[in-house]
Amino acid sequence: MDDTQHSQQLALFLASTAHDMKNSISVLSGTLERLLDGASPQTETAYPQMAQMLYQTRRLNDNLMQLLALYKQVGQPEYPFDVQAIPMVELAEQVAALGRVLLQSRGIAFEVEVDTDLIWHLDEDLIVGVVSHAVNNAVNYTRDRIRLALRQEGEVLEIRVEDNGDGYPQALLDAGAEAMSGVASGVDFRTNSAGLGLYFAREVARMHRHRGQHGAVRLENGGRLGGGCFILTLP
Amino acid sequence: MNSPVERKAEQIDWAGKNYLVVDDFIGVRQLLRESLRSLGARNIDQAASGGEAIALLAKTRYDVVLCDFNLGDGKNGQQVLEEARVRNFLLPSSVWMMVSAEKSVESVMGAAEHQPDAYLVKPITEGVLLTRLNRAWHRKQVFRPIDQAYAEKDYLRAARLCDEQIAASRVHEVELLRMKARLMEKSGEPEKAREAYERVLNQREYQWARSGLAKIRMVNGELEQARQMFLGVIAENRYYIDAYDQLAQVYQNMGKYEEACTILERATKLSPNSVPRQRNLGKVCLKLGNVAMAEKAFRKCISIGEYSVRKTPDAYLGLARVCGLKNDPKEALVLLAAAQREFGAEHPDMPLRAKITEGLVYHESGDYRHARKAGDELEAQLNARPERPDVPTCLEMATLLFAVGVKDAPVELLCYVARNNHDNVVLLDEVQAIFDKARMGEEGASLIRASKKEASDLMNQGVLLWKTGKLGEAVTWMRTARKELPNNQRILFNAAQVLISHMRDKGYDELMAAEAHEVLAHVDHLQPGQQRFAQLMEQLAALAPKVEEVNEVAAEEAPTPPSESEA
Repeated sequence: MDDTQHSQQLALFLASTAHDMKNSISVLSGTLERLLDGASPQTETAYPQMAQMLYQTRRLNDNLMQLLALYKQVGQPEYPFDVQAIPMVELAEQVAALGRVLLQSRGIAFEVEVDTDLIWHLDEDLIVGVVSHAVNNAVNYTRDRIRLALRQEGEVLEIRVEDNGDGYPQALLDAGAEAMSGVASGVDFRTNSAGLGLYFAREVARMHRHRGQHGAVRLENGGRLGGGCFILTLP
Repeated sequence: MNSPVERKAEQIDWAGKNYLVVDDFIGVRQLLRESLRSLGARNIDQAASGGEAIALLAKTRYDVVLCDFNLGDGKNGQQVLEEARVRNFLLPSSVWMMVSAEKSVESVMGAAEHQPDAYLVKPITEGVLLTRLNRAWHRKQVFRPIDQAYAEKDYLRAARLCDEQIAASRVHEVELLRMKARLMEKSGEPEKAREAYERVLNQREYQWARSGLAKIRMVNGELEQARQMFLGVIAENRYYIDAYDQLAQVYQNMGKYEEACTILERATKLSPNSVPRQRNLGKVCLKLGNVAMAEKAFRKCISIGEYSVRKTPDAYLGLARVCGLKNDPKEALVLLAAAQREFGAEHPDMPLRAKITEGLVYHESGDYRHARKAGDELEAQLNARPERPDVPTCLEMATLLFAVGVKDAPVELLCYVARNNHDNVVLLDEVQAIFDKARMGEEGASLIRASKKEASDLMNQGVLLWKTGKLGEAVTWMRTARKELPNNQRILFNAAQVLISHMRDKGYDELMAAEAHEVLAHVDHLQPGQQRFAQLMEQLAALAPKVEEVNEVAAEEAPTPPSESEA
């Protein structure tokens, strides 16, 4: 009894702290986006540093979101999974909008390929979060292009985030395979910063179930642009 | 280049709209204001608390409200939304976006009556905001005629509109089917509701649809099947809170109060801030004699209800009972006085209900002298005003009055219940049981018989006039019958039917239409979800001359004769 009371209080404390941090981070990244939007490398000498700050703020936000969602799975109130029918055009639109300033500031071209009539049943907030994190991640690996493609493959939805960089290093591909195989503890969070993101993506994919199937993530090299590919499939 | 996803035309002018931003954190308010400005918005008001928001909402009709769920002390976002809807501060076209730092069980899984148009999770960025605003707006366009028909309680028309929209907009198909199922439930057509849920489930396993099927089973009395299905939903998603509430209801219908209590307790742990859930838990605990848990639930209910428009006196009355059981009638009286102060204005039955509880408290604590005194005062109150409260309150009151030794008032109450429900066999058995317990079995039986006869005579005379084509006289007769038996559903339905027939025959009449609406609204209030209600509402709406689609529906259907009494 005392124990659960204590952990409930802890959960309450964490929730209100997280609420507070999220407020600060949204103000921070919003302000940075606004500054970058109104500036260019010609008019603003600190432009590259500001772009870097935005990139890091985004990472911070993604990590915080993922940690919270994961913490809550083990802790008391889990993430309330909320599936709705969503037009994939609108999903792509949101991912594009989330990345716009960051991609622009890094001089990266963003291409979207999506069937206008495609509708899928999914948790929009989670999937936008995962895909946009994959885009942020690709910023790190690409040379100058990132491609987002959404299409139906047989009975599943396939979302691909591809870049034209040198491809993911072997260690990351291994981490991806491990994350998929479910050996979550095998991911070394100290040496592998992508581990948390992959683990989270896998958890999100797995929450999406339909007729005995569940979602999955995988990493590959190659794809249309010849670099790294992040692939999320949902039933 | 950077916004590669081209949207087809249908641009909405977001610049000219009125906006309200509600957040207790100034940084977030400024950020949201900047985001809205970048969409071109000029008229943006801000509020830092629920109270401020309500004050602004009372003055201005906003097109878009962005409201944080957590607003610090005082009202939360959901309570602001509920109050705004209940007090009619929103336009039918207003878009309400609920913002939160994270998704919470309450915000998503609550079967809240008042849902926002969309939930937004922080951090909010312009792109996401614009996409969601556009979607919510288009959704409103699709649903507006349906919502309109729903508000007019013309559920069958609303359901037809759903069918039309399903054909036209695939994006909203699932939501439209959900709406249609709800409408069919409200129209007393569970079979059609089931079809709509099945159509959803053929696409995807949505818990609300599975839950909907289970609810139909429950209403149909297939309690064991319903129980299994709700358990299945919970096993699939243990945060789908509505299934807990429904499952508790199944257990209550089975008479298994222990199980109902256990399940409600689990639900309140997952989502503690629901007034109705805490109230139900308290009531079930009282039934079980679990005084400590009842007290906790009622106290919680009162504290979360403090800022909610949905608060009711039940928690106060329940807590007063708890005090009685704890042998503290003094505290009980304090609570009853508080309840009357707080709710007396909107609840005309409040003095009666408070007095009943007072009597119960004394009776249960063994103070028979004071219990009798409360009974006498209750009788005096009843004699002073002719209106009677709802059936459960009447029965509760009659039971108490008999128990404390009052005779005339409870007999009068039970006859009143019998007259107004003369064809409800289950209820009449309950009434008989109360007579039996007061050792008035035979006298009660003959009183019930007389009451039944009185009601069916009144009704049959009306039907006779109707059948012989004396519509004017039938209308007058049914008015008298309604005055005699203001809460008899069969008589009310027939009264509305006769009014409709009269208008069909002799032409539309605004006053008669208003009267029929009033009668039907009353019967729907007494017992919602009846088939005949939906049918008569549809016939009535079709009579109104205004719309272009005149009486294409009504003309096809042969008028249904008012039903005769089998009694």
